[in-house]
Amino acid sequence: MNYSELLNHASRRQFLEAAGFTMSLAALSGCWRAPTVTALPFVHQPEGVVPGRMMSYASTCGGCPAGCGLLVGVRDGRPLKMEGNPEHPLSRGGLCAIGQALPLGLYDSQRLAYPLRDGQQATWDEVDGAITKQLAALGDDDAVVFVTSTVTSPTLQATIDSFLKSFPGGRHVTLDAVSSSAILDAHAETHGARLLPHYRFEQAKVIVSFGADFLGAWISPVEFMAAWRTQRTPTPDKPVMSHHVQLEGRMSLTGANADRRFRLAPSEYAAVLSHLAQDIGKRAGLELPTGQPPKSPLAQSDLRDLGERLWNARGASLVISDSQSIAVQKLVNYLNHALGNYGQTLDIEQPSRQRQASDADVAQLMADLKAGKVAALLVAGTDLTQNLPQREELAAAIKKVPLVISFAERADDFGALAHYICPDNHPLESWLDAEPVSGVVSLSQPTLQPLGQTRSILESLQRWQGRRVSAYDTLQAHWKDVIAKRAKTSSPFQVFWDQAVHNGFVEATAAAAKTTDFQFDKVSFPESQPAGEEFELALYSKIALTDSRHAHNPWLQELPDPVTKATWDNYVCLSPAAAEARGIVEGDLVKVTTASGVSLELPAMIQVGQHDRVLAVALGYGVPGTDRFAKIGPQWLEARPTVAPGELVGQNAAPCIEYRDKALQLALTNVTLEKQPGRRDIAKTQRYPSLKVPANVAPPGAEVREAVQETTLAAFAKDPHAGTPEVHDIGAGQLWPDDHPKLGHHWGMAIDLNCCTGCSACLIACQSENNVPVVGKDEVRREREMHWIRIDRYYAGDDDDLQTVHQPMMCQHCDHAPCETVCPVLATVHGAEGLNEQVYNRCVGTRYCANNCPYKVRRFNWFYYERDDDLRNLVLNPDVTVRTRGVMEKCSMCVQRIEHARIEAKRLGVPLADGAIQTACQQSCPSQAIIFGDMNDPESRVSQAKLNPRRYGVLEEFNFQPSVSYQRVVRNRDEEIGEQHSTGGDHHA
Amino acid sequence: MPDSTTTLRPPLVTGDKTLSDVTRDICEPMARRPTALWWGAFSISVAALLMGVVAVTYQIATGIGVWGLNKTVGWAFDITNFVFWVGIGHAGTLISAVLFLFRQKWRTAVNRAAEAMTLFAVMCAGIFPLIHMGRPWLAFWMMPYPNTRGPLWVNFKSPLLWDVFAISTYLLISAVFWYVGLLPDLATIRDRSAPGWRRRIFSLLCLGWDGSARTWHRYETVYLLLAGLATPLVFSVHTIVSMDFATAVIPGWHATIFPPYFVAGAIFSGLAMVLTLMIIARKVMSLEDYITPMHIDRMCKLMLSMGCLVGLAYGTEFFIAFYGGNGFEQFVFLNRAFGPFAWAYWTMVVCNVGIPQLLWFRRVRASLPLVFVIAIVVNIGMWFERFVIIVTSLHRDFLPSSWAGYAPTIVEIATFIGSFGLFFTCFLIFCRIAPVIAIAEVKGAAHLKKPHAPQRESGAEKAA
Repeated sequence: MNYSELLNHASRRQFLEAAGFTMSLAALSGCWRAPTVTALPFVHQPEGVVPGRMMSYASTCGGCPAGCGLLVGVRDGRPLKMEGNPEHPLSRGGLCAIGQALPLGLYDSQRLAYPLRDGQQATWDEVDGAITKQLAALGDDDAVVFVTSTVTSPTLQATIDSFLKSFPGGRHVTLDAVSSSAILDAHAETHGARLLPHYRFEQAKVIVSFGADFLGAWISPVEFMAAWRTQRTPTPDKPVMSHHVQLEGRMSLTGANADRRFRLAPSEYAAVLSHLAQDIGKRAGLELPTGQPPKSPLAQSDLRDLGERLWNARGASLVISDSQSIAVQKLVNYLNHALGNYGQTLDIEQPSRQRQASDADVAQLMADLKAGKVAALLVAGTDLTQNLPQREELAAAIKKVPLVISFAERADDFGALAHYICPDNHPLESWLDAEPVSGVVSLSQPTLQPLGQTRSILESLQRWQGRRVSAYDTLQAHWKDVIAKRAKTSSPFQVFWDQAVHNGFVEATAAAAKTTDFQFDKVSFPESQPAGEEFELALYSKIALTDSRHAHNPWLQELPDPVTKATWDNYVCLSPAAAEARGIVEGDLVKVTTASGVSLELPAMIQVGQHDRVLAVALGYGVPGTDRFAKIGPQWLEARPTVAPGELVGQNAAPCIEYRDKALQLALTNVTLEKQPGRRDIAKTQRYPSLKVPANVAPPGAEVREAVQETTLAAFAKDPHAGTPEVHDIGAGQLWPDDHPKLGHHWGMAIDLNCCTGCSACLIACQSENNVPVVGKDEVRREREMHWIRIDRYYAGDDDDLQTVHQPMMCQHCDHAPCETVCPVLATVHGAEGLNEQVYNRCVGTRYCANNCPYKVRRFNWFYYERDDDLRNLVLNPDVTVRTRGVMEKCSMCVQRIEHARIEAKRLGVPLADGAIQTACQQSCPSQAIIFGDMNDPESRVSQAKLNPRRYGVLEEFNFQPSVSYQRVVRNRDEEIGEQHSTGGDHHA
Repeated sequence: MPDSTTTLRPPLVTGDKTLSDVTRDICEPMARRPTALWWGAFSISVAALLMGVVAVTYQIATGIGVWGLNKTVGWAFDITNFVFWVGIGHAGTLISAVLFLFRQKWRTAVNRAAEAMTLFAVMCAGIFPLIHMGRPWLAFWMMPYPNTRGPLWVNFKSPLLWDVFAISTYLLISAVFWYVGLLPDLATIRDRSAPGWRRRIFSLLCLGWDGSARTWHRYETVYLLLAGLATPLVFSVHTIVSMDFATAVIPGWHATIFPPYFVAGAIFSGLAMVLTLMIIARKVMSLEDYITPMHIDRMCKLMLSMGCLVGLAYGTEFFIAFYGGNGFEQFVFLNRAFGPFAWAYWTMVVCNVGIPQLLWFRRVRASLPLVFVIAIVVNIGMWFERFVIIVTSLHRDFLPSSWAGYAPTIVEIATFIGSFGLFFTCFLIFCRIAPVIAIAEVKGAAHLKKPHAPQRESGAEKAA
């Protein structure tokens, strides 16, 4: 009987038969198991891997050429948390925001997972075959140019050299997006060796910086911060600290931390340096530079004071400049030489290798490209067209090159022109080494299998020379041949290697650089350039983005600039006076046009402390593909896209760069500024810039808030408590008995504001550790950023002597917490160890706690913040709950770290040692400004810090009893002013 | 007992009414089909309500982020509207309970509407604390009930929890008081209705009222007791609402003056709302003979006195800030008056203290259009008072780095309008299904023309 028969002619019995069969079949199939996805344990458990336990592997940060020491926190096979390697001789445990943000770059779903051939997915065999063939076809006269950003890796350098050696026309060009070429060229002239000195700020008692943002984004900021910090902690017994003078046109983070800051346009550096050189040269009895110094824009008294301070600290002073003028850098060298600083604060025997670009080579390459003289172009570590001016001509020229290969991790601006993209591994996926400063060689080790079909550049280059050698073998071979010998190790290579991998670095002295005596005849006073009325343009790099390579990292895009507090954009910074003269208010679109006719249209940012004739625009923006962030924030009725349709995040300012005097000039003269119709809101995380309340609503006697206390070194030397404001003593008597006695531990924190530079590394450390969401530009504009820690930045003083303070502000874990009493459902409660604990599950989201928080550190989940990107979700820390919408969150003092340390101590049967717990912000702080610990232990570092005479608590007079205390800022100045904020002008945005 | 019907006092009901006139005048509009005016008002109200429903649904589905709040200003329209509506409710209780205890017989013309207003206003108010939560579906966690979550309990120290108790108690007592007061009138409607569903419904609703002396006696006792019970609520509810702010540490909130200040403000705003409604109702429902210029005049006087009290509170706050010597507190008040939200502050002062001073003039009080405008102005002013207290205190508190602004989104505005929609929808339905004026009480209190009755009668005697 067939089916239709059954349907049509079924008897009752037949029907029941069929129905019974069908039902039993249905019942059986219902019992069938759903397809299972098996999660199998390791058959062979890798040594030391404990599920759920964080393992640390020493490595080297690949975020920039500074090469800081890294401890990669790996859990269950995925790198999650980047921490500074405390043993590392340069970075000393610090790590900047870029380093902290590496994992998010690793888990970027738009990173290329396979090689591209003419924009199409290809296999490595296809690509290798085609490239080898094309390379083999190159003639002897054909120029093969390998362009990289600064290569600090000895192995990569050797591999590139050997690769290029096989082509008679091969040459290596180093291109730094933010170049220091002039410093190297100046040393070539004055010292006979093209090198970048290794600056040693820990030796410097007097630092005079002409525009060099060494605490922000200049060369190796983490290392410099760690060194600078050692001279910034005066004690009552030894009230000394370094004196830091900054002369600059734009307002940099370094200027914000200076003891004395002068506004000086970049074109005026030469004049001031000339006068200083004349002064110091005379004092030292040295041959003076030739010519006459031009008229100084600085007052004679200030010049004399500067000269006096430098001379008194000769041998322990340091003059630096970020100028790309070789003449200026030669004057800097003259000063350092005359002051006897070489060998003390500047090391040229074991120089730095963190900037190697020769801009003359780059210019030659550009000319060759345009002339069609390049047969093969290979580019690694930099985006050639994005970071150089004259993009269109360059792109047209590159299109004519027969073989163009990019090693970029994505099809960036240059990659779109390349015939082949052979994506290099992410730094966390690859074996590599680095020698950021001669003599310190560190290793990078992979912490997971490459996520895609990417391949180390070391391997690619070997492959194209016909060798199938892994990156690991190449690296080990180079270490065996070169590094081990330099390190003069007595142990067998395998032991040496294992130790190097374990420690992350070795000290391997290099042969001293060959320098000559100082060439006085090379130094001359520059010709006088009368300052015109035109603007100067200073192109700078931001602390989080530097050049274009980090533009795809939303953590870094949303990191507030430490000075402007702006996110997700670049803009034209101009001084309040310049803005007022042209009727420009913040957010107005302005057009900046350089002398060579390149123009940029960007919103205006009114920046106090900026020179009235200087405009500043950040590089590293306008990166192709960043329109991917258009919808990064919550999408709702009134939401505005982070990136407007057809635009990118910010605009690329690199087209403004000019090649002049053998260097790519980042400071330009004869720039015009025009106001344009239209506006673009800048999303800032801090609106009100001063501790001084607006004058029209200032009550007499309470004009200045004392959240940040300040004093001068002179006052501190007399009275270590100087700068304490007059407050009502709440006395010892409390109305109620203490209902929360902390009998065991009592966690607390001490933050030294004199060390904190505001660099914001802690922000990203916290974001990475605590799964803080990215909310997008519109939400930041609506003042709803989610960072658990913020850096409050306050200005005081006037434009010509601006004083800035930075204050990290996070949950203060008050013992009398105002948030705790008001929560109706007990979602925020007081822990037995003094922590203010937020219970996400219990929170119903009344926001009463946030309203009642005097420090405004609580953050509310206004929306469900998208977590749809599965690859990106790998960056989440499994120890920390991802918060749902509608609940409050805030700093937990990394309670998960406290518990980890407690469990570990218990397992080992030892008491919880001071220092065993480091909060994420503390661990990576390059200037070690944060100390966490047990306040009940009188011996702990935090208890000791709380005895510091500079200690104070914010809003302590209200008896909130915050567990976080601060140490007052001490400025190395002669006047004895305790409260400088009351003397300054009022900067009201 | 003073006699309210002496010739020295204006009559409470004009138009030479008989007892049956009263019954007819008040009950008849309910039996008739609604007028076009009613339909017009009702459709606008329902449209506003629907808009609110859409806004709230969108907000609950998407997140509180659709409001204009930020990291610094965590409350704005939501709690402003909450306090505003709670305040509106207060005049109802004041008129029905407190004036009853003080034997103010003129209250009888307005008390029913005022009580209904209280009820609806508290309903509107209650919505805001619910929807302002990040996770409103967990609102029941605010209730202390035995649960399976271990020792998890509510925080009895939190003023928000006190609010939960205060508002729910208030809603309960107001509803009971209103309903008990309705009983004799429901019986009247029952008696006037022809047999059928209408009659059956009202029979049920009036709980078997039989008009006997014993029933009246019990009724009056219950009413008196409930009035006594409701009276402290007038003071306690807004006192507790004010503690949401007073117990906080934020300068501008942390003030001991808040309880009396809030109670005065609440009564002030409530009176203004009663006036607004009554002036419309007497026109629309042709109740000019029951809500007479005398009533309006007395309400105006009460409103004026409350306005002065509120003005005194504003002044006291400034004085205490100055006298207390706390720089943060001084800043908040200067910032209110001269900061970014100065426009809101001066709107508040002008509306609440300035313009009501016109009510000193008899001719102003006698002019219904003027009184209507002033009442509306006071309502606006009192809304701004709450906005000023909440937003200006929060937006610039201790640390200048966190100072922020605030602007509402369309979702917040739609929600606010929606609350008015709910209020008026309820009120218009109420006008159709229950007597707007307490028939029994008016009959008892007013000096009415009675066929075959002496001209003077005791005020205590009630209508049969």
